[in-house]
Amino acid sequence: MRYWLSNNHHIPVTPVGGLLKTLFLALVLLIWASPVLASANSTIIVGSKNFLENRLLAEMFAQLIEAQTTLTVERRLGLAGTQICFQALTTGGIDLYPEYTGTGLVTILGETPMRDPVAVLNRVRREFRQQWNLWWLAPLGFDNSYALALRRDRADTLSIRTITDLTEVAPQLKAAFGYEFIQRADGLPGLKQLYGLQFRNVVGMQQSLKYQATDAGDVDVLDVYTTDGRLAVYDFIILEDDRQFFPPYDAAALVRGKTLEQHPELSRVLSLLTNALSPERMQELNLRIQEQGEAIPNVAFDALRDLQLVQKGKSSASTTQQDSTSLFSYMWDRRMPLLVRTGEHLGLAGLGLLLGTTVAIPLAFLLERWRKGAETMIRLIGMSQTIPSIALLAFMIPLFGVGALPAVIALWIYSLYPIVRNTYSGLRDAAPSVVETGRALGMTEWQILRSVRLPLAAPTIMAGIRTAAIWTVGTATLAAFIGAGGLGVPIVSGLQLADVHVILSGAIPATILALLVDGLLGWIEYILRPRGLETP
Amino acid sequence: MTHTWELEARQLSKQFPDGTFALQDIDWRVKQGETMALIGESGSGKTTLLRLLNRLVEPSSGKIFIQGHPITNQDPIALRLQLGYVPQDGGLFPHWTIKDNVCLVPHLLEWSPEQQQNRFNTLLPLVNLDPTHIADRYPIELSGGQRQRVAVARALAADPTIVLFDEPFSALDPLTRHELHEQFLVLKSTLHKTMVVITHDMAEAFRLGDRITVLKDGRIHQIGTPQELMDTPATSYVTSLIQHHIGYPH
Repeated sequence: MRYWLSNNHHIPVTPVGGLLKTLFLALVLLIWASPVLASANSTIIVGSKNFLENRLLAEMFAQLIEAQTTLTVERRLGLAGTQICFQALTTGGIDLYPEYTGTGLVTILGETPMRDPVAVLNRVRREFRQQWNLWWLAPLGFDNSYALALRRDRADTLSIRTITDLTEVAPQLKAAFGYEFIQRADGLPGLKQLYGLQFRNVVGMQQSLKYQATDAGDVDVLDVYTTDGRLAVYDFIILEDDRQFFPPYDAAALVRGKTLEQHPELSRVLSLLTNALSPERMQELNLRIQEQGEAIPNVAFDALRDLQLVQKGKSSASTTQQDSTSLFSYMWDRRMPLLVRTGEHLGLAGLGLLLGTTVAIPLAFLLERWRKGAETMIRLIGMSQTIPSIALLAFMIPLFGVGALPAVIALWIYSLYPIVRNTYSGLRDAAPSVVETGRALGMTEWQILRSVRLPLAAPTIMAGIRTAAIWTVGTATLAAFIGAGGLGVPIVSGLQLADVHVILSGAIPATILALLVDGLLGWIEYILRPRGLETP
Repeated sequence: MTHTWELEARQLSKQFPDGTFALQDIDWRVKQGETMALIGESGSGKTTLLRLLNRLVEPSSGKIFIQGHPITNQDPIALRLQLGYVPQDGGLFPHWTIKDNVCLVPHLLEWSPEQQQNRFNTLLPLVNLDPTHIADRYPIELSGGQRQRVAVARALAADPTIVLFDEPFSALDPLTRHELHEQFLVLKSTLHKTMVVITHDMAEAFRLGDRITVLKDGRIHQIGTPQELMDTPATSYVTSLIQHHIGYPH
């Protein structure tokens, strides 16, 4: 047997030693990438949801902590929605994030809306502390409520000023609402129930794109945040909530109790922002990001500087972004951060694919030996492909927190199916008559697997890995939803800013990356294709 | 018993899980150095018989002996290494060179590289191929006839006493087939191997076989020399086979 193995038959298998080494390296990287394990005690992880105001507040928290304490701050901004943020907080994936009292009451606690801001604050404070040891710090001074809004001219034509007025004409109108608003009890479902609202048509739309949609005359009614700077720019009026449906949404920092115990200075520092931001001030700040294209860190710095909470003139990031610059020069200006994002992206996708390959190929070998259960097993793995990525991430946050680890695990799960399927089919169907001859001439099943089935299946296996690679590189953009970086970050924030340059600065490198990876794997496939097989 | 048969099957049956018989109560013997042709339609059981000989399938009942010893006394792998085998389409490993293909069994038997090289050099001329010219080429670069010659060389590589052929020439064009028949007869007369050749072509059976076994629906209709089959066909099926296939000069 030793002799057999030592002879060269152009057998394209990774040496076992090399495989182990790769596996070990992957594990080391995984542990390194794990936010849960890596977060040292002196590091505070600030999270935010994936809309601008929340990011801005989180950035202000982060800069304030950096300026006023010796703690290191890690930013995990743009997590996909309330549930993911909240799960990340309860599991320790992040230490704090900006939350709104009404959201805490209705979305997280699942209670019915209340009108009195103080009652709402007291209620969420007590429940969050008792249930999860989470602490609501003092509100920042503004209520960013949900509201329904129309263009002023449209409202005049229809002569409506309140939501009750709207109910009359709603069957002729088209509404564009955020996806979360469509689902939330304090959003569309509750509104329908209380006011009996029925629109002609409701479409789900990214918050930032909605104003432009009304510009184009495609939609009439929007859900808006009352602190949105664009309300004034686009000349919108907020319809009066005459039956007092929307609860107060006072913004405040929501912090882990454990973090506050370890770093008592945090509550002192964060309380410097108590009642520091008026609704008008928030509208101004939001507008600077939304319409003037200023970078969030700069706006956050200015806001803190005006409150004399940070030193003057310390802002480091570049100033305003020019709308007129070409896409190329925009990307060239940001080549270093984009390169870092590309590196992150490649790391996430590569690690997911590597883990997928190291699990899927041996699994397919086992299934080839155990064919009775193979199809069922492969179908089960196939089902994992159909789980929407956000849902998969939501499942994973309680287990793995936020950051690179759950992203890599999600990508790993997504990469399994094409590799298992192709490897199994390739091994099973490899030239049956040749396999039979090998057996008849006295080869053992292991020798046949290693020297006949595997090399003959190599092109099919590589095709599976290629499919998985393209899929993984494409899907790695989802990492942005759970604060794991990658090219999804410019794509997601570009969507929020409704800025095509920003979106493309993520999408173009992602596409190029996918093409390069495909080309590279195609080349490897060519190298691994055993000589003597026809080229396709 | 005065004579030890090279190959012998006693009361051999193979039943499928659904109850049907691939082979039923077969008594069958082959002498040393004899070429036995196995003829029958598809489903007659001829391939099953061949696969029982090298234990690719196990019998439901009955026994097979090689030189008087039950084959079940031996590990299947060790048994197969002693039996040459030539499949219908050559069954060459497409990703191995001709030399690697031919030296498969010596390789499995852990012969030294020099021994393998020597064997390769002496074998190839036997099947009318030039060893130096062809050693490093791949099966796809050869013609169908050349591939089948390589397959024969591979079956003979470790000098087995018994060689099994599973419709070895049926996929070839008539001219090449004729050529390989000639070659087969030369090898037969020089090497004195015991050979079992499956065919569905009566003309081929007549030409290659010292004796012929006619199988139908899992049972033996007749075993005999070509002359015996012509003179005294045992069943109407044998008669019809002969009439159908020997209606032209060959």
